[in-house]
Amino acid sequence: MVNSNTIAGDAAGRSASIPKYSTGIARIVNSAIYRHTLGAAVESPIGRVILLAGVPLIWLVMLHIGPIYQMLKISLLSHYPAQPGVESHFTFDNYAIFFRESLYFTPLIKSFIFATAATAATLVVVYPVAYYVAKIVKPEGRSKALLLLLVPFWAGELIRTFSVIMLLANRGAVNVLLREIGLIDRPIPMLYTSFSLGFGLVYLICLYMLLPLYSAIEKIPGQYLDAAADLGAGPFTRFRRIILPLSKDGIVSGCSLVFLTCIGVFATPMLLGGPNTVMFPETISGFFHGASDKWPVGAAFALIMLVTALIAAGIFMRLVGGKKGSAI
Amino acid sequence: MRNMVSDAPRTTLTAFYWAFILYLLLPLTLMMAMSFKDANFVAFPIGDWTLDWYAKVMQDKQFLEACLYSIMIAAASTLAATTLGTWIAMLIVADGIRGRTIIFALACLPAVVPGMISAISLRIFISTIDMPTGTAAIILGHTVHAVPFVVVMALTRLRSMPRNLVDAARDLGADGVVAFFRVTLPYLGPALFGGMIFCVLLSIDDFVRTFFLGGYRPTLPMLIFAKVQGGMSPEINAMATIVLVVTAAVGLYAEFITRRARTR
Repeated sequence: MVNSNTIAGDAAGRSASIPKYSTGIARIVNSAIYRHTLGAAVESPIGRVILLAGVPLIWLVMLHIGPIYQMLKISLLSHYPAQPGVESHFTFDNYAIFFRESLYFTPLIKSFIFATAATAATLVVVYPVAYYVAKIVKPEGRSKALLLLLVPFWAGELIRTFSVIMLLANRGAVNVLLREIGLIDRPIPMLYTSFSLGFGLVYLICLYMLLPLYSAIEKIPGQYLDAAADLGAGPFTRFRRIILPLSKDGIVSGCSLVFLTCIGVFATPMLLGGPNTVMFPETISGFFHGASDKWPVGAAFALIMLVTALIAAGIFMRLVGGKKGSAI
Repeated sequence: MRNMVSDAPRTTLTAFYWAFILYLLLPLTLMMAMSFKDANFVAFPIGDWTLDWYAKVMQDKQFLEACLYSIMIAAASTLAATTLGTWIAMLIVADGIRGRTIIFALACLPAVVPGMISAISLRIFISTIDMPTGTAAIILGHTVHAVPFVVVMALTRLRSMPRNLVDAARDLGADGVVAFFRVTLPYLGPALFGGMIFCVLLSIDDFVRTFFLGGYRPTLPMLIFAKVQGGMSPEINAMATIVLVVTAAVGLYAEFITRRARTR
């Protein structure tokens, strides 16, 4: 009894076995107000449920579902926000607009292509790094090796995007360096192109890939690799037959996370992209600034993007995650 | 024999790791270096060095106000998110709760919805409840964004908590509320602290939600965005460098604290 009190960090409780507290919380607990409100509520089963579940459930329903629900509702209205003299009615027109105009669905397709390409590129680039930290670095050095990878991510999205400009601008580091060593006469235009956008996206999101991959690869027992090697499997076979299948969970969650993040990136395309790389978020944003009666269209488009993105991520998870590992 | 075979991949991977570190750090280093350039335009090579831009930034009222505003929003949303996230986590681990998985999935929803869509849905939401854009709306948006992370962090820690701690407190006469504040909360402490720092960084970093929910008062990311779009100047580099150094220090500190708590 004394022992459990010590674990609970309750120095005052040590002297008593019945609830008789003497410190700050105790004074509240022993006060008449507490006994008749919270104290009484905790005593009754219904009160306990309300106390435990009330606020969380209200919050979850109001603010985790509420906004999406309102967006869905407004996407089916002809006018919003309400204007005097204009009757708003139920319609599917806002969704139909999307399929009618290539001006709208081209950016969505572009967004998907970019997000997919960026996800694939991130996977290819980050996988060896995650493998190196998880399997080749000695256990005591791992947290340091990881920390070094984490440092850039304490800089915000905008600062990282901005720093990519320093590298790729016409008078940025790469162009100046190439000119100094005489490889080029005039700067290669890299900024405001698909290249700079892709480069920036990968730079922005590689951490989301790194952590899931790392934790998946780290869990693979080293004996499996040793056993395979003893049985004559070369490095490539070991990678293909053991490491890759066993890190599948990490690949699936990393890729989904990166893909969904990429799709929703808003500021980076605006800063690093050019006129040819207008992404869907920017298209949607147009409906909410300026002419405000386009809100329903924007809401419909946002939902189209959300649903297609989730479906794409779901299909990917099913395709990659569905197969059972063949290595063991 | 085996070591000889695996030596070549090992060297390649080591080289690749360091190349990747270089890739991560080079742009930021260049950005910081540029903040010391003694000229009005952003371009390499740097040539003359100066600290003038820092002096200018430190006197820039707009920058200082944006800093304070961002910190205020971060503090408020972190407090709200930590409270709500912990509460939700307590509900999820409570005995006899039906639909645990659904509650957990709901709690994680804002982390899965792409940032842009989350921002728009919140913009629509606040307009349907007649809430004006501005400080309160931003805080609400950042809180929604941060709650899933707190829930996950609190849950991880709660699952490792020995059951008998709370049972002992209950045996000794503490009711549910008292047991929570005196036993569970102190046990959650380190995880929550890490979660809070994470929320602060998340909020200070957030652009898209603030962009849609904010009024005319710029937060730090909004200010930097406006300045970058308005034209390059080493002043932005100085600004970004200050923000970067401060947030990295906070992040490093949090990492240190949570790591110490984990090994204890």
